[in-house]
Amino acid sequence: MTGDLLVIAQIAGRRCAFSALDVKSVIEIGTITPIPRAPAWIAGITALRSQALTVIDCRRAVGVCTGPVGQDWPTDHRAAVVTDSGYSYALMVDSIEDITTAAGEAGQIPGGFGPEWSRVATGMIETLAGPALMVDLAALLAGPDTARHEIEAAI
Amino acid sequence: MDDLLADFIAETREMLEASGGELVAWEADPADRARLDTIFRFVHTVKGNCGFFDFPRLAGLSHAAEDALADCRAGRREPDQQLVTAVLAIIDRIALMIDAIEAGEDLASFGGEDSDEALIADLDVSRETSGNAGLEGGRQGANLTLHAPADALFGTGEQPGNDRAAAARRADPTAAQRTIRLPVELLDRVMSGVSDMVLARNDLAHRLRQAGNQPTIDGPFERLTTILSDVRDAITRMRMQRIETLFGALPRLVRDLSAELGKQVMVDLDGGDVELDREMIETIRDPLTHLIRNAIDHGIEPPSARLAGGKREIGLLAIAARQSGNTISIVISDDGRGLDEERIAAKAIATGLITAAERSAMGRDKILNLIFEPGFSTAEVVSNVSGRGVGLDVVRQNLEKVGGSIKVTSAPGQGTLFSLQIPLTLSIIAGLTVEVGGHRFAIPQSYVEEIAQGTAHALDFTRMGETALVTFRGNRVPCLMLGEVLGLDTREIAAHELTLVMLRLASGDLFALAVEGIHNHGDLVVKPLAPAVMRSGLYAGSTLLDDGQPVLLLDVANIAAHHNLMSDTRVRTIGLIEEGAVVAADITRAMLFTDFAGRRSAVRLELVQRIETAPASAIDASGARPRVVIDGLILPLVGLPQGAFTLPRVRLLRLTDGACELLYAVREVEDAVELTEALHPVPDDPLAEAVTLIGGQPVTLVDAHALFALHGEPPLAAIRPRCILPDGEWARTILGPLVARAGYDILPEGTHDPDAIGIVFEDMYEVAEALGRTLPGRLIRLRDQPDAPPGSGTIYRYDRESLLAALAAAKDAAHTQPDFVGEAA
Repeated sequence: MTGDLLVIAQIAGRRCAFSALDVKSVIEIGTITPIPRAPAWIAGITALRSQALTVIDCRRAVGVCTGPVGQDWPTDHRAAVVTDSGYSYALMVDSIEDITTAAGEAGQIPGGFGPEWSRVATGMIETLAGPALMVDLAALLAGPDTARHEIEAAI
Repeated sequence: MDDLLADFIAETREMLEASGGELVAWEADPADRARLDTIFRFVHTVKGNCGFFDFPRLAGLSHAAEDALADCRAGRREPDQQLVTAVLAIIDRIALMIDAIEAGEDLASFGGEDSDEALIADLDVSRETSGNAGLEGGRQGANLTLHAPADALFGTGEQPGNDRAAAARRADPTAAQRTIRLPVELLDRVMSGVSDMVLARNDLAHRLRQAGNQPTIDGPFERLTTILSDVRDAITRMRMQRIETLFGALPRLVRDLSAELGKQVMVDLDGGDVELDREMIETIRDPLTHLIRNAIDHGIEPPSARLAGGKREIGLLAIAARQSGNTISIVISDDGRGLDEERIAAKAIATGLITAAERSAMGRDKILNLIFEPGFSTAEVVSNVSGRGVGLDVVRQNLEKVGGSIKVTSAPGQGTLFSLQIPLTLSIIAGLTVEVGGHRFAIPQSYVEEIAQGTAHALDFTRMGETALVTFRGNRVPCLMLGEVLGLDTREIAAHELTLVMLRLASGDLFALAVEGIHNHGDLVVKPLAPAVMRSGLYAGSTLLDDGQPVLLLDVANIAAHHNLMSDTRVRTIGLIEEGAVVAADITRAMLFTDFAGRRSAVRLELVQRIETAPASAIDASGARPRVVIDGLILPLVGLPQGAFTLPRVRLLRLTDGACELLYAVREVEDAVELTEALHPVPDDPLAEAVTLIGGQPVTLVDAHALFALHGEPPLAAIRPRCILPDGEWARTILGPLVARAGYDILPEGTHDPDAIGIVFEDMYEVAEALGRTLPGRLIRLRDQPDAPPGSGTIYRYDRESLLAALAAAKDAAHTQPDFVGEAA
């Protein structure tokens, strides 16, 4: 992990890291076509050249934000494009900060990160720009509902 | 060397696939030299190649088979069951060896060369058996063929010709086109590249339109468009494969299964030249195999049972593929025992699929289609052929996954027929773009039966509780409001502003989807949506519009199922798809005309009730709003030229929104045209809905909504006088039209309306008067004779002038002296 390139972004006021290998590009986000009746964390679809991207609002996808976004955090006009199991997504975040290098392995901290963050994070990672939460893309893209269902199922 | 080897393996495989079917066909008709030649060529080629690559065992096997077949070709021996079995065994062995060679395994895994010897010996043993068959008392005599020749099966003398023709047709593909082999990924990459190119072109087209006409760019751009659509056609065809590749393996499958189960089955394949998406062929391979297994295992009876039932000993399994529009239908039918309705029903009740009460309400077809329900298997004895945990429910699921459907029909004792409907291709579909609440969505064209404007009076839009209903071709059809379905915040829209898209589901159910507008239609390149979006169950994919805006493709079947609009979600029947209706449905037609400002305009054809010609005297332009009198109605008039009106007559388009009518004065009515080009909104002209191209010329489409909002008003219908006609055919067919043309509404005989004018025959009048019956206040009396006694007050019934004059006079009297009626009564 040390030496890996990371894309650092702010999600709901927290510094998060994506593996630069996951991030295909960073785009200016254009018009977003909303998807009626889709989960709230899916902001809509947008076009990147001839491709349709599903726009994910990361703040909602983590599950820390249930009310209207925008009041608590700013939204970057850029989005990170990632692909997961053949589908392309554009991730809406507070801001995309930097590309930096990992300075260690992702590790857990005592007490965890809180249920929402623990679901989407593989752990804390030290980077040259300071510590950040390493985001598990698949978990993030699964949305907050899955965790809730699991909890409900467990109960 | 490796490349050569790979080619050898691939070539041999291809020939193996082809020859399996040929061999069985040849066995059925040993006289068929074309088939024999094909098989001979195969073993011959294998033999040649094997020598080249130094595979002595392969060479030995193919050599032996070649020898035996050469004997047949030379007429030295007759092909019989043993020979075919032995040749098949050798071909199987060759196939296995080819697999092993490809995997780099040692051929020794097939046992020693002794086992090959045994196979080769079988060829010769069979020769002796064939010679001594008479002694062994073969059931069918010396030539113990598994299947009787096709001629014998069909019995009569006139068919051999057809059979031979059919044989020749089927033999054709062996003379295949030159082909090359390509990795599928490469094909897919080219495919998606072309899709992207189409989208880029659409985007460019949009920008060019915005930039206005630029002759230097438009020419090359047009050329690009043409080339691109050609390329796309070709690419689409690249993905296509003849269904033959699937059919090729079936005769062998049928033969092996029937031999295993002790049944005699002849397979009849038809429509092998139908082309299908390669991926689709792979998708239906398993379902098809499963259905064939089922048919042979459960459907077709053992020979003895067939004979006892008065059928031919040999069962017939027919598989036919047909293309109709953008769906392929594959029909698998057998002439076996048919499905047992009672047993299926009993089983369904036992497994809790339906209740006994439901059962009694269900028709035979519905019950039969229960076999596709999960967890249903009628076979009491589970054989190793069918019923290995993969039920018909999986077959249906697999088909539905790709947008297909399946249904079954069956007649007891006569056979079963499975019919599969599958879409032609997965990725490019014809679609319609609709708008609701500012959002756009696409609907697959294949569902669209017709498009109706809410303005059409006959639609009779009503709300029943929370559900909306419309009347379509005399049937009440449920109507979904797309805005509500999607939970959009839409304002309540008046019914006549809605556009209704009539959708026909694969199950045959019809429903209407109310949208606010229709944009255009065309081929859509559908891309899959992220799973989280798919879970909403409303969308089937996404696509990009010309302007690069992404839109969602609605999952019509799922939406309907969600709203319980499928008559019975368990039963999937296939509705009659009227190709013509579907094609005609998506075209918006408009009436093209030139208005008095000299502008070429169009108005949607649904709005145009009639084209009227009115004399200038009928027009009253004195008020703030011009009016015109048509058929005794005073109607608003728009489109008059400024200033004095000089023409003696004027052409008018009579427009209606169902309740209101208005007339649109035009200089010239041209024709009814189809709106095929995109509609471009014109924000600055309130009365123009859009500008479009018709025959390359710009045409303004009149905004009917704005027009009726400004000028529409219900006609003053009370002015129209009414007339009661005498009874009888003559009055209805001959007198009626004349009276109607004179501006009267016709009331049936016997109605009592004090304001109406009555027409009676003189003799009836006399009778009525004698009996003291009440008669309408004002009367026109008719007589049968041309000559009348002076002063009789009657009119000869064919005296047109007098009749019209009397009607006109009565009308004027009604207009000017409404009280006169009361006095007269």
